[in-house]
Amino acid sequence: MHKLRAWWLRVYGLFRPGHAEEDFSAELESHLALHTEDGIRAGLSPAEARRQALIRLGGAEQTRQAHRERRTLPWLESVLRDVRYALRGFRRNPIFTLTVIATLALGIGATTAVFSVVDRILFRSLPYAHDDRLVSIGTVHSLERQEFMLGGFFFDWRDHQKPFEAMAIQSTGPHACDLVEYNPAQLDCLSFDDGFLPLLGISPVLGRNFLPEEDRPNGPRVVLISYGLWQDHYNRDPGILNRQIDVDGSPARVVGVLPKDFQFPTLQSADVIFPMALDRAAQATANGGIGNPMRTFGRLKPGVSIEQARAQMEPLFLHTRDTFIPKDIRKDFHLSIRSLRDRETQDAQLMAWILLAAVLAVLLIACANVAGLMMARGEARERELAVRSALGASRARLIRQTLTEASLLSLAGAAAGMALAEGLLRAFVDLAPTSIPFLARAGLDIRIASFTVLLSLICAALFGLLPALQTPRAVALAARAVRFRKRSVLRRGLVAGQIAMSMVLLSGAALLLRSFQNVQEQHLGMQTGGVFTVKIALPGFRYDTSQKQMDFYLQAEAAIRRLPGIHAVAISDSVPPGGSQGGRWSDLAVDGKPHPEQGTGGSVAERTVTPDYFHSLNIPIVRGRNFTEEDRRSMEPLIVISRLMATRMFPGEDPIGRRIHTVHANVTYTVVGVAENVKNGGLVEPDEPEIYFLRSSIADYWGERVPLLIVDSVLSPKAAIPWVRSQIAQLDPTVPTKFETLNEQVSKLADRPRFETALLGFFAFTGLVMAVIGLYGVIAFMAAQRTQEIGVRMALGASRFDILRLILREGVRLIALGTAVGIVAALVMSQLLRSLLYQVGPRDPASFIMVTLLLALVALAATLVPARSAMKTDPMQALRCE
Amino acid sequence: MGGKTDVWQGTLALMVMRTLETMGSLHGYGLARRIEQTSGDKLELNYGTLYPALLKLEQEGYIRARWGVSENNRRAKFYELTKAGRRRMRKAAKEWKQTTGILARFLSPAEEA
Repeated sequence: MHKLRAWWLRVYGLFRPGHAEEDFSAELESHLALHTEDGIRAGLSPAEARRQALIRLGGAEQTRQAHRERRTLPWLESVLRDVRYALRGFRRNPIFTLTVIATLALGIGATTAVFSVVDRILFRSLPYAHDDRLVSIGTVHSLERQEFMLGGFFFDWRDHQKPFEAMAIQSTGPHACDLVEYNPAQLDCLSFDDGFLPLLGISPVLGRNFLPEEDRPNGPRVVLISYGLWQDHYNRDPGILNRQIDVDGSPARVVGVLPKDFQFPTLQSADVIFPMALDRAAQATANGGIGNPMRTFGRLKPGVSIEQARAQMEPLFLHTRDTFIPKDIRKDFHLSIRSLRDRETQDAQLMAWILLAAVLAVLLIACANVAGLMMARGEARERELAVRSALGASRARLIRQTLTEASLLSLAGAAAGMALAEGLLRAFVDLAPTSIPFLARAGLDIRIASFTVLLSLICAALFGLLPALQTPRAVALAARAVRFRKRSVLRRGLVAGQIAMSMVLLSGAALLLRSFQNVQEQHLGMQTGGVFTVKIALPGFRYDTSQKQMDFYLQAEAAIRRLPGIHAVAISDSVPPGGSQGGRWSDLAVDGKPHPEQGTGGSVAERTVTPDYFHSLNIPIVRGRNFTEEDRRSMEPLIVISRLMATRMFPGEDPIGRRIHTVHANVTYTVVGVAENVKNGGLVEPDEPEIYFLRSSIADYWGERVPLLIVDSVLSPKAAIPWVRSQIAQLDPTVPTKFETLNEQVSKLADRPRFETALLGFFAFTGLVMAVIGLYGVIAFMAAQRTQEIGVRMALGASRFDILRLILREGVRLIALGTAVGIVAALVMSQLLRSLLYQVGPRDPASFIMVTLLLALVALAATLVPARSAMKTDPMQALRCE
Repeated sequence: MGGKTDVWQGTLALMVMRTLETMGSLHGYGLARRIEQTSGDKLELNYGTLYPALLKLEQEGYIRARWGVSENNRRAKFYELTKAGRRRMRKAAKEWKQTTGILARFLSPAEEA
């Protein structure tokens, strides 16, 4: 404690020198006076007495020095001196200082921000026990790419599997359910079995998991609730346990609360979880005997790889497939076992790797830039260092000075970089599409921040040290630019490398930009302006018959139609270009024709619509007729098909009046019209043939698909939405509604390519700016080094143009080398982008030519500036300088 | 140095504190002379080393200093022991006695053997 106090006082003493020094001088003076008086009293002369006193003191100045050293911390003092000296140097050279700091900040900031985003996708372990052994198990087919399991064969798999320690199930997607209380709310409900939480190694924060006797058909009605529901709705009341809550009109007992940060492996969210209570007997008959779909997860036995598991499960799968799946679509079904990480991150991994690679390239460019700048500065200061060492500064002293400077720059760069990283991360989160998992929760990662700071420190120190390590004593004092060549090769290499790296970044960004343009400018085949959709979540327990549901929608349709400025109101179940219900080509048969194709024939978009659908989206009917209002009340099954469907199903024939039989539902429909094609498989996926069924106004034929209202208004959606909202509220004020304009929905689909393009574009721009700064620095430095040579040349008759060419040649050589290496690297690297590109090849010549030109132009401009100033050198002055 | 002993490291602080304990408040010169007297003039201090030692004790909070007027009307800086210094002194004195006691046993003539 006392030592610490002393230490602090000494640190404090560093910054308050003046007063203490005077005080001690006075004390010393009083000491000498007292001692001298004693001497005189003992009979000495005053002069002799003072001399004696000084001798006994051991010298006044020495005493002062000893006192001063005790007062402060000498080593810290010398560090501070180094810092002050460095700061003075930075002030003298602000452009150098700011460039280094900005470069470091960009490198550190961008790397930290991107790493914080991709960390959870690529590296961080999943928040489950034994996360490396958790897998998603099931079958996939062309319409469902996520593994699913059917109740009809789940038990068979579970009882006969070998590769897994444990398997657990979860219901597919959460469904809307109602909490009926004094404070009602619409919630998401889900079910899982009693083995689900143990499989993931999760225990409830409050209460317990389901008991085996609760996870049984006709077991007690118990639920687990999410932490969010517990917190927001029950104010974290611990008395929630064993309380009866009313879900969808019947009571359920709460047995536990899930942990705060719990995530479903499907990344869905749910508020209330019921036991799965899977009934083996019932599953054998449900859903036409194949059972209900669900998600299955498993934990591999230690030492079993995913490939081994797949091989071991294959016989079970084949047996199942041959038992349950109709012969004609059997080929479409496959066994799939994926690690949970792959299941969670889906296709975000490729994007994450690309971003990481891009940002590492930026970091490398930044490091090369700092290295180049530090080397240039080191060389420019060679004489200063030589003078200092001639005056007695040891080599260690000079190295320490250089290290101090490098550390100061790195620290400043790191501080600015952290601020930048925070800003960038926020921008990423705002910009990012929802399809990139975990982004909303991303926070700055301190580990990677320290890593980048360390890296930049090494970068700065290493290259800053080069000149200090080789400080020649007399040589640098006497001559200049003697060994200048050797290091300049290294620095030119760095610059060429930077140019090459920017070339790779730029070409990647250009390809993504072209692809994004293609996405944005493509023809959707429908109008999007002025159109919005209304999603209404009717509580199922109150609207429990299709009659009640249909009545509500028909009333809503009529009410909205009566509003002024409404052009068309349609009922559909989805809108293009995003989702649609999918069917199989092979499920359709033309009456009087043999089935044309083997296999499944791909998928078919299906929508159930009212006649106004085509009006509201302005999709022209190219043959035959649209549905009519009268058709809605007739029992006759009618369809409209898309032009793509017509040409594929009835090549060279008139489809109107032909009949199409759906094998699955066993209904035969009559084709009344052909609609123009619409982009219906998503923005970047190929179009699918489409069937429009008629949404009938007869309760028995109303159908199960959740309706979606499409409103086309003459007014702007902003003006029309409140009117529509109030109309629906008049019908039933409690139903939740969700409004979304079609433009928003289309734009949301483009979020992903927009995000990728924006980020890569930003990195490419940053890289280019830094590379150009680096190039400028090198050329300007070389030009300055050759001032005298230029003077001589001019004196010997070289024209100003010759001088310009001389300097430009240096730059052009570097640019050519960098660009050539860059193009080759970019052609290789762009292959990685292939799957992200839309209607543009990874070797798109236009993009590459554009990028090369851009880079060459900017780089030439950067060399032209110092070349021009060299050209304007006054030969007299150049020769006189030294 | 003519039979006089140098003060070895570490003991000076103890001597200073002990002297201040018995004498109350003293200025640097007086303190030095007093230590020499107490040693029976066997110690000869290098006065210059006294001041950094005083500063160290002051920084550690064992003594405090204040400007005052000496017996012959000169301005001088007076030092006195703080409470912490008193405690510290007792402890150090005890440890020192133990050490010298042990050493004394080793160095005494082997009577009992």
